[in-house]
Amino acid sequence: MRIVIVGGGEVGSALARALAAEHEVAVIDHNAAVADRFASLEVDFIHGSGTSEDTLARADIKQAGFFIACTGLDEVNIVACAIANRLASPETICLVSRADFIGSSSNAGLAPFGINRVLWPEAQLAVDIEQVVTAPGAIDAEVFAGGVVRLLEYKLDSSSPLLSAPVGGLHLPRGSLIVAVKRGGQLFVPRGATQLAAGDKIILMGTPEAMREVEKIVRPGGNRGRQRVTIIGGGDVGLEVAERLEKADNVDVRIVERGEERGALLAARLTHTLVLNGDGTDLEFLESEDVGRSDVLVCVIDNDERNLLASLLGRQLGVPKIVTRVSRPGNLRLFERVGIDVALSARGAAVAAILHQISGGTSSLLAVLEHGEARVLELTVSQDFVPRQLKGIGTPADVIVAAILRGDHAVVPRGDDRIDPGDRILVFCTRAAAGRVQAYFSGTGA
Amino acid sequence: MRLSLVVHVCGLITRVFGLMFLAPLVVAVIYGEYRDARGFVFALVVTCVCGQLMRRAGGTDAENAIESMRRAEGLAVVSIVWMLIAWFAGIPYMWSGLGPIDAMFEAMSGLTTTGATVFRDFSQFGRGVFFWRSLTNWLGGMGVIALFVAVLPRLAIGGREIFFAEASGPDDEKVAPQIKRTAALLWRLYAILTVLQIAALAATGMPLFDSICNTFGTIAAAGFSPHPLSIAGYQNPAAEWVIIVFMFLAGANFALQYRALARRDFRIFTSDDELRAYVAVVVVATLLVGSAIYGGLDAGAPVRTALFQVLSIMTTTGFASVDFQLWNDQAKAVLLGLMFVGGCAGSAGGGPKVVRHVLLARFTLQELRRMLHPRAILPVKLNGRVVPASILQGVIVFFLFYMLTFAVCSAIVILFGADIVTGISATAATLGNVGPGFNLVGPMANFADLHPVSRITLTAAMWIGRLEVLTVLVILRPEAWRSGRWSSAGRAAG
Repeated sequence: MRIVIVGGGEVGSALARALAAEHEVAVIDHNAAVADRFASLEVDFIHGSGTSEDTLARADIKQAGFFIACTGLDEVNIVACAIANRLASPETICLVSRADFIGSSSNAGLAPFGINRVLWPEAQLAVDIEQVVTAPGAIDAEVFAGGVVRLLEYKLDSSSPLLSAPVGGLHLPRGSLIVAVKRGGQLFVPRGATQLAAGDKIILMGTPEAMREVEKIVRPGGNRGRQRVTIIGGGDVGLEVAERLEKADNVDVRIVERGEERGALLAARLTHTLVLNGDGTDLEFLESEDVGRSDVLVCVIDNDERNLLASLLGRQLGVPKIVTRVSRPGNLRLFERVGIDVALSARGAAVAAILHQISGGTSSLLAVLEHGEARVLELTVSQDFVPRQLKGIGTPADVIVAAILRGDHAVVPRGDDRIDPGDRILVFCTRAAAGRVQAYFSGTGA
Repeated sequence: MRLSLVVHVCGLITRVFGLMFLAPLVVAVIYGEYRDARGFVFALVVTCVCGQLMRRAGGTDAENAIESMRRAEGLAVVSIVWMLIAWFAGIPYMWSGLGPIDAMFEAMSGLTTTGATVFRDFSQFGRGVFFWRSLTNWLGGMGVIALFVAVLPRLAIGGREIFFAEASGPDDEKVAPQIKRTAALLWRLYAILTVLQIAALAATGMPLFDSICNTFGTIAAAGFSPHPLSIAGYQNPAAEWVIIVFMFLAGANFALQYRALARRDFRIFTSDDELRAYVAVVVVATLLVGSAIYGGLDAGAPVRTALFQVLSIMTTTGFASVDFQLWNDQAKAVLLGLMFVGGCAGSAGGGPKVVRHVLLARFTLQELRRMLHPRAILPVKLNGRVVPASILQGVIVFFLFYMLTFAVCSAIVILFGADIVTGISATAATLGNVGPGFNLVGPMANFADLHPVSRITLTAAMWIGRLEVLTVLVILRPEAWRSGRWSSAGRAAG
C-alpha cells in the first residue's frame, strides 16, 4: 500500500521507519535538511509543500491508501488533508495540537474537510498523566470502555503484601486481575503459580470498584488528605494537565513556567492553580518553593534534556513520584533506567495508534503499555467462534482476556465464564502476540 | 484643551436641560400653583437662554470639533456641566424662598441622587417643587449626560468621552457597540423599571403623586420623598416591600440587568462576581442590623425594617422606613460602614461601588500570597477574566482620594461647629451620595442647621462623589488648563 506522510519530524520519521519495510512510503517536507533522516530508509523523500497540489501529485497521491499529516502546524495539516481528499480518496489522518479542532461530537469539527481521523497526541498524554497522578502509588493508570474497566500499574517493594503467596493464592478482590508482570525487562502474563518478587512491576485490570479495593491492599493506609502536584513546564500539555487536575477537589496544583508572558496566560486560564515564574531546572528556585514536599512531580517541558534534569532534581529533593514526558521515543527506556517512575511519550502513543489503524483489523487499540511491549485491545468475537468456557480456551501464550463488556458494565472473567460469539472483550497481550490474538478471536478459536 | 469646545458642549447640554422644567411646570399648573409655575417658566427661559449663549459662544469651530473630543475635554465638560445644571436646577427653590447656598445644596443633592435635604418646613413648598425635586433625582440616577448622549444627535460620536467620564465604576462597559445606542438602551430599561414601580406603589394604596415621586427617588437610588417623614410617613408595609425590591434593582448593574433580559438568560446573575458580593453584603448587614435592633423599638418586623434601611443606605438611596437615628450605636455603625460600600458599578447607586471593594480585596489577598511565593504570577480576576494592572491602580488611587476627600471634608464640617458623629456621617452620606446621616443630620432631620461653609463643602462633596472623585480632581489640576486655548483654529489664525 502507498502511504503519504506530510511532515518529516519526530512523528513522521518514526512512522516512516516502522512502515518502510512493508509499505511504499512517501514523505513530504518543505525542509530539505530533514532529508538526511530518511536517506537510510527505503522511502521517497519529496521536497515541497504538503499543501501544494503539484507536490502531492509528485507523491502519487492517487495511489495512496493512507495520508498522514503530521507537521508541527495544525492549519497546514488540515489544509493538506483537505487537498489530499479532493485530489484522491485516501484515509486521512490529521495531527493537531489544540482543542479548537476537536468537535464536540466525534470528529464533527473537521469531518466536513474530508478528514477521517483527528489525533491530538498532547491531549491524550495529558489524560494519561492525569490518570497516573490521581492514582496514588500507581506508576501507570488508564481507564477503558467509558470508565467501566480500569488499569493500574504498581512497582512492588519488599514490604508489599502481594509477596506473601503465589498469584493464585493472593485472594484479590473479585473483579480484578493481575494481567502482567514485568521482571528484569521481561514482560509476561503470570500463571497461578507465579510468585511475585520485590522490584517487579505488576499491571492489574478490573472494574473500578474492585480496583479501589486493590488500591487499599497494595497501599495500606492509602490516600491521605490532599495531593500536592507540581507541574514543570507550562506548554500545551502542562496547561491541559493542570486544567484537568483542577477539576479534582483534593488536588493542589502548582505549575512552573519559565516564560513570563506564557505564565501570565496560564494564570489567566487557570483558576485554582498557583503559577510560578521560574526555571524548573534551577535547584535554588525549586528548593525555595519547597517542591520536594510535593506528592507528584510532573515534568512536561518540551525538551528531553531539561525534562530529565528537572526530574532528577525532583528526585534529589525527595519527591516520591515523578512523571515525565519524553519527546523522543528512543529516550523512554533511558529515562526509566535513571529512576523516573513514569516516562510517557505523546508522539509514541500517536505513532502506535496510527500504525494500528494502518495495519487494519477488526480490533481497536486502546492502549500501548510499557513502551510498546504490551497493548490492550478491544475486539468483537467472531460469529464463527465456538462458545466455550474460558478455562477451555487455549488462548495464545502471553494473552489474557481482561474483561467481557456486557451492556454498560464489565465482567472480569474467571475460569468458568463463557465467551460467546459477538461478545465484546478487552484483551491484554504482549506486542508479539497481538497479531495472533486478532486471528484467534476472528476465527473459530480452534 | 479647547475651551470653545468645552463651552459649546456645556451650552448644548444646558439648553436641553432647560426643557426639563416643562414637567414641573405642567404639574404646578395642574395643582393650580401659579406662583410656582411662573418660577418654572423663569427657570426654563434663563436656562435655555444661557445654554444657547454658551453654545453660540463656542462658535462653528467648536461645533465641528465635537467628534474629536479628547479625554481632558470630556472630563472638563462632565465636571462643569454637573456644576452648571445644579445652579440652574436650584432656581425654582430660590423662587420659593431658599437662599442661594441652600438652593444649590438641594439641587446638587437631587441631581447627584444624594437625597440630603435642607428643607425644614415641607409645607412651604408646592407640589410642583416636590415634583421637580424628585425629577432631578430621576434624571441624575442614570446620568444626565447619558440621557443627552442618547437624545442629542450631535453627541452621537463625540459623546463617547463624556459618557464614560460620567459612568460609574472602574471599567467601561457597553451593552451595544455604539455609545448612543448603549445610552438609549440603558435609559429604556430605566424607564421600564420606573413605570413598573409606579404601578406597584400605586397598587399598594399610595397616592399617585407620591408614588411617582417616591419611585423617582427609589429607582435613582436617590431618596427624596415628598413626605417630611420619608417612607416612614406612609406606614405602608406593602409599599416598603415594593421599595425594597426596586432599591435592590437600582443598586445592581443596569447593563447586567439589560443583558439578562435581552438574552433571557438569568444565570449571569448568579455568575457575576460583583452581584454575588452585593447580595452577600446585603444579607450579612441585614443580619447584623436585625440582631442589633431585635427587641428594640421596631421589633414588630425586624427583617423588613433591617433590610429596608440596609438597602437604603448601601444602594445610597437614603430613604428611611423608621427613624434609625433612634437605633443603638451597633446598628448605626453597620449603616455607617455601608455608606462606604455603595451600589454596583453601572447602577444608579453612588459610593465607592461594590466592585472596587471586590477588586481591592482580591488584590490584597494576592499580595499576601506573593509574600509566600515571591515568584508566583498572581493576576486579579473578575468574572474569570484578568483585570489589567492599570485598572487596579485606578481602584487604589480612587480609594486613596476618596478617603482623603472624606477626611478633609469631615474636618471642615467638624471645625465649623458640628459634633464628630454629625460631621463624619454627613460627609460620608454626601460624598457617597447616600443622603441622611446621624445626629443633627439624621433621617428625620435636615442639613439646614449646619454652618454655611459646611453646606458649601458638602455640596462640593456630593459633586465630587457623584463624578467619582478623580474626574473632578483631574480638572482641578492646573496642568489640565495650562495648555488651554480658546480653539484649535484660534491659534492658527493668530
